Amino acid sequence: MFRGEQTEVSGSEILSTLLGSEVRGDLLVLFHRNPGLIDTVDGVARRIGRTTVAIISEVRELLELGVLKQKRIGASEVVYLDRTKDRELLESVANHLKTLKVGEER
Amino acid sequence: MSAAHPKTRASGFDKLFSSEAIGGLRVKTGIVELDEMLRGGFMPGDAVMLAGSAGTGKTTLALQYLVNGINLGEPGIYVTFEELPDQIYRDAKNFGWDLRKMEEEDKFRVICTSPNLLLESSDDSLLEDVLRDIQPRRLVIDSLSHLEMFVKRDDMRMEAYRVIRYLKTRGVSSLLLWESPQISGGSFSVTDVGLSFLVDCIVALKPVEIESAMRKALVILKMRGSDHDKRLREFEITSAGIKIESAFSNYEGIISGSPRKVASEKFMELFRGASEKRK
Repeated sequence: MFRGEQTEVSGSEILSTLLGSEVRGDLLVLFHRNPGLIDTVDGVARRIGRTTVAIISEVRELLELGVLKQKRIGASEVVYLDRTKDRELLESVANHLKTLKVGEER
Repeated sequence: MSAAHPKTRASGFDKLFSSEAIGGLRVKTGIVELDEMLRGGFMPGDAVMLAGSAGTGKTTLALQYLVNGINLGEPGIYVTFEELPDQIYRDAKNFGWDLRKMEEEDKFRVICTSPNLLLESSDDSLLEDVLRDIQPRRLVIDSLSHLEMFVKRDDMRMEAYRVIRYLKTRGVSSLLLWESPQISGGSFSVTDVGLSFLVDCIVALKPVEIESAMRKALVILKMRGSDHDKRLREFEITSAGIKIESAFSNYEGIISGSPRKVASEKFMELFRGASEKRK
């Protein structure tokens, strides 16, 4: 399917990627509420009431960011939440937001 | 991961020949009355079928089995094909079980996937990562009935056998839920695809109509290599989970779906009625 290239990104970049689109938001909500979800892109699309075509580029973005991981199960490619990476990214975003707040207060 | 469960990779072989298995210790469900019925609990590494129709309490009993296992130091996995984990977290919380916290502590995982992915997985198993990460001793599949949608009827037994063997060779005790609308009649048939022969133990849950009220019955239909309570026991789903009550000793025909009071009980009722009239 697609291989995400993971590079170091800043808190603001992470934030803008995470909030970049409505579909991406839906995907994040789905995986955060259901961290044990392991499914094909087709299956994931069904679970948020959208089509595969509508979510494929958004899934790619999240794979590139490292929030989602993929692996091959038999003949299928599945995606799932990388809990460790997700925690790291959320921490980066939280730190970034703190920095913004401190800047505003000054 | 807690200190009690270091991430050293114990193989199924190691677990099979652990002092626990050889010593014959049981896998306690943590439901005192059920453990008594099972003469201490399930046998280690056994595949147990929990059969019942919708709404009988299969999911509640299965979650309680896992949560009690965690409290006994045995991590567990809940594999669901139907409900999304957030629904399971919410329902469990109503019984006072904080599954998210247990996940954070690496003692528990809910895996939500499609049955076909579980069937497709071979060497690179769907469950391999999580088995390595939390070293579970207990695993629930909710439900085995869902596999039926993805395999031919003739292949169902073989596929179920593969799933059961996969877990057994890893030393994991499994609880396999089965949607069974037809546990009735004299044959006690649980599945119509011959799965009863594959599992080591069968616990059946059944709704029963008695005196115009719906009650619930639990019975152990089979337990390979062990004695067990053969009586039908009434149970309730309380705010703390499953609570097993006394046996339906005054009724017969519960499994067949036509419960009636046994003759001696009818006689006693008549006798009581007559003596009250005399007063």
